[in-house]
Amino acid sequence: MSSPVTIIMIEDDEGHARLIERNIRRSGVNNAIVPFTNGTDAVNYLFGGDGSGIDHKGSALLILLDLNLPDMTGIDILRRVKENSYLKCAPVVVLTTTDDSQEIKRCYDLGANVYITKPVNYESFANAIRQLGLFFSVIQVPPAAT
Amino acid sequence: MTPDATRRRAIGQILLLAAGFLVLVAISTASVLLVNKARKDSALVVHTVEVENRINNLLLDIRRAESAARGYLLTRGPEFLKDHQSAIATIIPGVNELAQSISDNPRQVDNLGRFRAAVETRLEQFRQQMMLVARNQPESAVALVQAAAADNIGGSIRQLAAVMSTEEARLFALRTADADRSQQLAAIVTIAGSGLVIALAGVSIFLVRRSAGARDDAEAMLRDNNLNLETTVDQRTADLREANEEIQRFAYIVSHDLRSPLVNIMGFTSELEELRGDIFRRIASLARAGSSAPPAPDNATDTAEPLLEGADKQLSQDFSEALGFIKSSIAKMDRLITAILNLTREGRREFQPVRIDTRELVETIVTTMAHQAAEAEAEIRIEPLPEIVSDRLSMEQIFSNLIDNALKYLKPGVPGEISVRGRTKLGFAIFEVTDNGRGIDPKDHQRIFDLFRRAGTQDRPGQGIGLAHVRALVRRLGGTMSVSSELNAGSTFTITLPIRWAASNRNRDS
Repeated sequence: MSSPVTIIMIEDDEGHARLIERNIRRSGVNNAIVPFTNGTDAVNYLFGGDGSGIDHKGSALLILLDLNLPDMTGIDILRRVKENSYLKCAPVVVLTTTDDSQEIKRCYDLGANVYITKPVNYESFANAIRQLGLFFSVIQVPPAAT
Repeated sequence: MTPDATRRRAIGQILLLAAGFLVLVAISTASVLLVNKARKDSALVVHTVEVENRINNLLLDIRRAESAARGYLLTRGPEFLKDHQSAIATIIPGVNELAQSISDNPRQVDNLGRFRAAVETRLEQFRQQMMLVARNQPESAVALVQAAAADNIGGSIRQLAAVMSTEEARLFALRTADADRSQQLAAIVTIAGSGLVIALAGVSIFLVRRSAGARDDAEAMLRDNNLNLETTVDQRTADLREANEEIQRFAYIVSHDLRSPLVNIMGFTSELEELRGDIFRRIASLARAGSSAPPAPDNATDTAEPLLEGADKQLSQDFSEALGFIKSSIAKMDRLITAILNLTREGRREFQPVRIDTRELVETIVTTMAHQAAEAEAEIRIEPLPEIVSDRLSMEQIFSNLIDNALKYLKPGVPGEISVRGRTKLGFAIFEVTDNGRGIDPKDHQRIFDLFRRAGTQDRPGQGIGLAHVRALVRRLGGTMSVSSELNAGSTFTITLPIRWAASNRNRDS
């Protein structure tokens, strides 16, 4: 992954966040990871004080998104990201426990790039995250629209 | 209205009718009696008038005889003689008739006796007069007439007749009054009776109308109640449906949210496991350093189990055991949560009623299970099955679960015989899946349908979900399910499904 890409991790469960981070690191990805444990903080960071997202103009972001957040649903964040002219190109990886087919379809409809269900089995979980890390290491992320 | 009141009312009406009938009978009897009496009274009145008539006739005849005799005496005309004789001839029979008709009255009989004597005396005088005239002694005859006039027999005859007439007039007045009274009585009885009957009829009509009104009220109430009942049932059904959906949502959310911590537990347990490897490797190397043993080339193989001795080895094993239990429990919990999730998802799935060739469907299932059947040395026989309209996927799940169970729980060493039978009855299709397997203890018949519950020897893999799932499906398809089985004597699972299942309300709402 080209070095300036920042990984935004929106995950309310700190345990999950820790496990995800650990496994991404194990796959050799050393990009900066900015963790958020609730939706409001993440939205404030992503869209800035004026809600336009202009702060991230020119920077490359990759968003790791959980759907079940304490203060809002990840789907709202996804929709806003994909509707924002600066952030819409940022890849969004939905990483959640929900494996409901309607939910999955809805996320892809809204423009999610990858949808991954967290497996309970840790082998599978670690495996999935590591492969995601590998994926991150080769994915090309465009800088936010100028 | 209480049943008691109803019975009282019915008895009252019967009594009323009986009373009316009795009054009618009484009136009829009284009328007949009174009319008879009135007729008798009238007859008596007529009789009295007749008697008076006869008396007058007699007097007239005597007068006629007298005047004819006088005429004859004066003129000697034969027509006077003839007239006299004819008058004389009617007198005695007239007296006899009179005697007959007054024989019931002793006073009149007495009077008549005297009257008869006077009349006979008078007749004797006539006879002598006539005789003297015939002998041509008119003077003697005239003298006789004079003597008779002096005797005044005619006067006493008239007097007696007047007495008798007076008596008859008295009787006439008496009898007329009697007849009037009888008639009046008859009229009163008839009027009173009719009035009573009309009154009873009026009361009857009132009662009938009142009970008809009560019946109409009751009918209206029944209709209202029916409507209310339907509304209540609808309401309850809606409530139940809502509650059911609530439970489904609840189960879904709970099982879903349970998963999240499970990921952590599993994840960090695995991390712990890795840490354990590191820790015990450290311990091993320290121990080796302490005992100045030749260092093993352990750095090359990270994953290799470090060589431990004595208490350290025991410690390592305990650690592994604990981790193993934790991990297997987590795995089991995950399976259960997954099962609940699948069940709730199944419960939310919309059913599509389609025409199903059940036999073909079962044959397809059996084909996919041919390998399993061959392994169990089982033969599956499919008899002709009725076609039904139902949800195809559900039917597939029902039959594949039942046949799978039948194959799974055969008696070891005994070739399996499984049969699928079907018949129809009163709009329902009844399917039976019978095996000659190990059977189910009757005390477990309820339990096997419960979620996560199993029965018998636990030598086969399974979560205890299949039958619970099948029963839930059968219920949603509007059917029922039962089992009959004895330990070691095979089992028969019976499913009753509506032949023509239409998507129920519950399905439409979900």
